[in-house]
Amino acid sequence: MKELLRIRELHASIAGKEILKGVNLSINEGEVHAIMGPNGAGKSTLSAVITGHPAYEVTSGEVLLNGENLLAMPPEQRARAGVFLSFQYPVEIPGVSMTNFMRTAVNERRKYQGLPELSASEFLKLMREKRKMLQLADKLQGRSVNEGFSGGEKKKNEIFQMAMLEPCFSILDETDSGLDIDALRIVSEGVNRLKNEHNAFLVITHYQRLLDYIVPDFVHVLADGQIVKTGDKTLALELEEKGYAEFE
Amino acid sequence: MRSLSKGEVVEQILLNEANLDLHFVQSDDSVLRLFVLNLSPADKTTVEIYVDQQGRGCRTEVYSLNLLRDEQRCSMHTHITHSANDGQSLQLIKFVLNDKAKGEFYGELKIQPDVRHIDAQQTNRNLLLTDEAEMRTRPQLEIYADDVKAGHGASTGQLDDQALFYMQQRGIGRDEARRMLIAAFCKDMVMPLSDEAKRTELMETIDRIV
Repeated sequence: MKELLRIRELHASIAGKEILKGVNLSINEGEVHAIMGPNGAGKSTLSAVITGHPAYEVTSGEVLLNGENLLAMPPEQRARAGVFLSFQYPVEIPGVSMTNFMRTAVNERRKYQGLPELSASEFLKLMREKRKMLQLADKLQGRSVNEGFSGGEKKKNEIFQMAMLEPCFSILDETDSGLDIDALRIVSEGVNRLKNEHNAFLVITHYQRLLDYIVPDFVHVLADGQIVKTGDKTLALELEEKGYAEFE
Repeated sequence: MRSLSKGEVVEQILLNEANLDLHFVQSDDSVLRLFVLNLSPADKTTVEIYVDQQGRGCRTEVYSLNLLRDEQRCSMHTHITHSANDGQSLQLIKFVLNDKAKGEFYGELKIQPDVRHIDAQQTNRNLLLTDEAEMRTRPQLEIYADDVKAGHGASTGQLDDQALFYMQQRGIGRDEARRMLIAAFCKDMVMPLSDEAKRTELMETIDRIV
């Protein structure tokens, strides 16, 4: 199997405080990895650093996507190269229509891939197809990005964007937080439909619940800025039972 | 001075006028809707708007969008007086300030003694795109009557960093993301225009400029 993402000895800090203290991780195409851990372990920092959030400073180490140095790219370039983050708190953007936002994003990704931009009608057709595939209602598309969406609608909208952009590497950051069981099912079924042998997922979660639906190949425990244990899906069940006490 | 007769509806667009000194007097049930748009303004713009609602049941709406760059200056003063009952006034004033531009808004809202059932709103929102841009805002409410509703709000801020990062994470370049956010800030200023063709035209102009 081909290696997609490689993180080597990654150290990162925010406002001078070191959060990641030497993270190592290798993810192959076709794999689903879960990162679990106590609050404050650095789970969300890891997703912020991979995607290039400006608040965090990488002090050493590297992150490679298909052998390319992600850390040297601005956030938009990483996204165009196929890195997608399903945000824990998707941002509301009043006045920017979902359609306009998504068309700009999709065409940027296509340009990067050397594909022609989609015409307005091709784009609308693609939106319809993806919505149908994910069983999402049409009503969200006429509105501003995430504006006035419920928690569940926002998370579904993240998965919809993922489907539109067809990333090769997706991070789901606490996607299960604030979701009722129906929304959780729709979101995870969406992810399972999008999964294929050429892409990979990193599922960041505090609870085991989401992993009943999105079954990981590997489970890692992140504690105090390092991956301290790696196992298969049974590790998640073990953590659910015993908690994180032994890692704190 | 322009007098609006009973029931008259006036909608006026004032585009990139460097010196405006406008005086309106409104009679019963008249509607005045002003759009003062400085999209490609002169280096120095001064606007004075005086409206006196002398008749009952009048409505006044003032929308103003000011896009300033370089060392452009713009001062916008509004003076709205409610002299009769049952009047409404709505002001929405926005500034987008780039480079070393400076903006000033002074909004005087007066409700005369013994006047009743007034609904007056004044909102000033500003976007500073650089650390060197400057905005001064001064609402001045003079209310000498009891049974009225009058509100004002002013806010000055920068582009939302969270929104910018969210857009970049979807592959939208930082400059394009900024442009989209600025256009979104401006857009609602021309939405109340009743002439749809004019509205579309102005929207496209705004899109081109920001």
